[in-house]
Amino acid sequence: MKQIKNLKRGILLFLLALLIVWPFLFQSKYLLHILILIFIWSYVTTVWSYMGRFGLVSLGHGAFFGIGVYTTAILFNLHHVSPWLGMFVGGLVAAAIAVVLGYGCFKFGVIGHYFAIATLVLSEISTLVIIALRDALQTGGRLGLTIRSVGTSPLYLQFDNKMYFYFLALALLLLALFIWKKIDESKAQMALKAVGEDEEAALSLGIDVVKYKTAVFALSAFLTAVGGTVYVQFTMFADPTTCTGVGLSLGIVFKAIIGGMYTLWGPTIGSLLIVILEEYTRLFLGSAYVSYSHIIYGLLIIVLIRFLPKGLHGTVSEIFQGRRKREAKTLLAGRQLAENRD
Amino acid sequence: MLKIEGLHAGYGGFEVLRDVSIEVGAGETVAVLGPNGAGKSTLLKVIAGLLKPSSGAIHFENRRIDGKAPYEIVEMGISLVPEGGRLFPELTVYSNLMMGSFNKRTRRYFKDSLEEVASLFPIIKQRKNQVAGLMSGGERQMVAIARALMSRPKLLMLDEPSSGLAPKIVASIFEFVKEIKDRGYSVLMVEQTVKKAVNVADHIYLLESGRVEFHGKKEDFLENPKIKRSYLGI
Amino acid sequence: MLILNSVVNGVLFGGVLALMAFGMNLMFGVVQIVHLAYGQFIMVGLYLVYVLAILYHVPLLLSCAAATAAVALLSILAYYLVVKPLLKAPPINQLLALAGVWMVLENACLALFGATYKGVQVVLPVLHVGELYIAASNLIGFVVGLITLAMLYLFLNKTYTGVAIRAIAQDPEITGIMGVNPRTVYLVTFAVGGALAGITAACFVPVYSVHPHFGGAFTLLAFIIVILGGMGNLLGGFIGAFIIGVVTSVSSTLLNPEIGQIIVLLICLLIIIIRPQGLLGVRGK
Ligand SMILES: Nc1ncnc2c1ncn2[C@@H]1O[C@H](COP(=O)(O)OP(=O)(O)O)[C@@H](O)[C@H]1O
Ligand SMILES: [Mg+2]
Repeated sequence: MKQIKNLKRGILLFLLALLIVWPFLFQSKYLLHILILIFIWSYVTTVWSYMGRFGLVSLGHGAFFGIGVYTTAILFNLHHVSPWLGMFVGGLVAAAIAVVLGYGCFKFGVIGHYFAIATLVLSEISTLVIIALRDALQTGGRLGLTIRSVGTSPLYLQFDNKMYFYFLALALLLLALFIWKKIDESKAQMALKAVGEDEEAALSLGIDVVKYKTAVFALSAFLTAVGGTVYVQFTMFADPTTCTGVGLSLGIVFKAIIGGMYTLWGPTIGSLLIVILEEYTRLFLGSAYVSYSHIIYGLLIIVLIRFLPKGLHGTVSEIFQGRRKREAKTLLAGRQLAENRD
Repeated sequence: MLKIEGLHAGYGGFEVLRDVSIEVGAGETVAVLGPNGAGKSTLLKVIAGLLKPSSGAIHFENRRIDGKAPYEIVEMGISLVPEGGRLFPELTVYSNLMMGSFNKRTRRYFKDSLEEVASLFPIIKQRKNQVAGLMSGGERQMVAIARALMSRPKLLMLDEPSSGLAPKIVASIFEFVKEIKDRGYSVLMVEQTVKKAVNVADHIYLLESGRVEFHGKKEDFLENPKIKRSYLGI
Repeated sequence: MLILNSVVNGVLFGGVLALMAFGMNLMFGVVQIVHLAYGQFIMVGLYLVYVLAILYHVPLLLSCAAATAAVALLSILAYYLVVKPLLKAPPINQLLALAGVWMVLENACLALFGATYKGVQVVLPVLHVGELYIAASNLIGFVVGLITLAMLYLFLNKTYTGVAIRAIAQDPEITGIMGVNPRTVYLVTFAVGGALAGITAACFVPVYSVHPHFGGAFTLLAFIIVILGGMGNLLGGFIGAFIIGVVTSVSSTLLNPEIGQIIVLLICLLIIIIRPQGLLGVRGK
């Protein structure tokens, strides 16, 4: 048991080391580009999956991503505000919206597929807002906008050498995975699992479920918007179809489902597979055929939900080991909390 | 006609019925009595196919029916009046009766069935177009029985037809049950209130905590000293 | 006058919207499923009309009829392949699987027809009634919508299958002991829902040129109406359709159309949160 764990840790450390030296070993700009995309989407999908732990499927993360993209872009293009600040502002706007929407939903018991629908509406609103502001804030509407280029400038988060984005995105992904772990190990999370969806019982353990869910939603929204900022600084171009809206939201959810939305590595694996699939079709069939890759992963989703209704969950063995261990821990945490209250 | 042997059933891991065996002969009226929570409704649900038993066998007219879907069981001639009637609240009385004759075996007799049922419950003609949800409890119970009869059952099952009704109405409901019995239907009835039910029944089963604690003829039931004490209050 | 004019056209357009919402509502009420890909079926219907009428020169009315039948078949297919295996799954899984259907249909149309607008150019007159200008396309949609709804009303009240559809929405358990096989009812519901999507598409032919992203917009429009009227509440959806028809029409006359839509969506969000039974519905059954 311990050996397996050590082996796993060894492999992970090796992979990490490999990823760190990669850009110095291999010069391929194309591969670097793909890896950056994989990191960014893995990051966003992992951040999305924080919600999944509570059975909350958000179809609104496209909106948060778009808020990050467009807040940064507009502040910079119109007012010359540094994207570092824009990233922060975008995150706060996203978090604020998440707090209002989340608090309303959780307070009134809008969970499950009703929550999904509510957040879906948010996604649609985000697209419409960007189109409506095409002149007022020069979002460019459906045609999109381009970030004004200032060459390489760390202050303005612009680099001609993509390597900087590579490390930035990798760091974000590691951060997202780290936070995932922290949430997973948090006492509140374990206690919540112990009592299931029973909010009264959770309350008796001293956890305000509504508050906790809202907080996680806000955190997830903030970090998603940050992802949006990095993405747009990397691509220097934004339009509503790729940077926000229902399509993007579904894309994020699907990546998580394909990889497994309840495990640490699931979202990363899903993003890896889908980015590769998309790039493969783009490269070998031409960009007019990218829609084929979307057909494939739409079908994949349907098949997965049907035959592996709980998602891929990483590997089967992980389910077995992980669950037993986690359950034991969960019960313990629940009891401790209960005792603390007495 | 109906033969239940060694039936076990429950919800999830929670066993409600334990080794229940019950028989209903053709033309007989059988009452299953027992306190609240004994498993009476569960028993009827299992027979109607709404709940799968965990073990045991149910035969109806020498055909095995446990495990069959509810719609197949109606087709074979068993009809259930659920507790509280459970009419479709937003449908009219007429549409509710239509649902009663939904099964293929009896659909073409709809008009005849309607006449027959109306001769028992004249109210269904007067209230044909009323929405079921707006009727009183007693009326709903009558329409629910009428709806079950529309499927021309050989065996009619009644789940506490008297529950929640005023004493006067309870009396008339039992009159109807007697009338139904006289028309030749086999009846399996489940009740908490013992006295009224005993009057119409030929055979009595006593169900306590999911077990049959007594079964026998009405006379034996009334004579049994233990039952006298705890159920009849004598 | 301008406003009155758009109110009238909005009411007329509401007829088609009522039809569109009815399909989604029926599937929600009966099968308890949120049909996220419903708009994509309408979109497919529009493409089919385009293919038949423009590429194969089939007469327009015949094209519409064929498209309706084809969409109904597609809906049945979706029932068998996607919905039926998930009937007992958590609603969120059903929703996501249908999101998969959304993805597949949208991108299939993108792959087949590209990202340009395709449409049948039907030139319909604008009628003058007194000082009102009424688009004939709206009038046709209104009439077709109402006739279809009237036929549905008869179906749901007079036929065994129709009554069973209503019954199962009220009490699925008891419907079973009436001798109804729920799977058959679900299948019929999907067929009817698909046919409604097809007829809606036919009514949209003179109004819209179609684009692969339209499906999502249709789904959302149907959603908004259904939510406004209370999910599963057929009468509520009917009234909601006319409200949305008028609001959309008036707001696009007075404001920028996106702002009108944003306001409608915000109201929709509020309703989901504080009045899930809909503006017009009553809580519970
Ligand atoms: N749907 C259900 N799920 C779980 N337990 C149930 C359900 N229905 C009944 N029970 C339990 O089964 C037992 C018997 O119930 P029931 O058959 O309704 O009794 P009766 O009809 O004799 O009052 C009770 O303890 C009750 O709590
Ligand atoms: Mg009972």
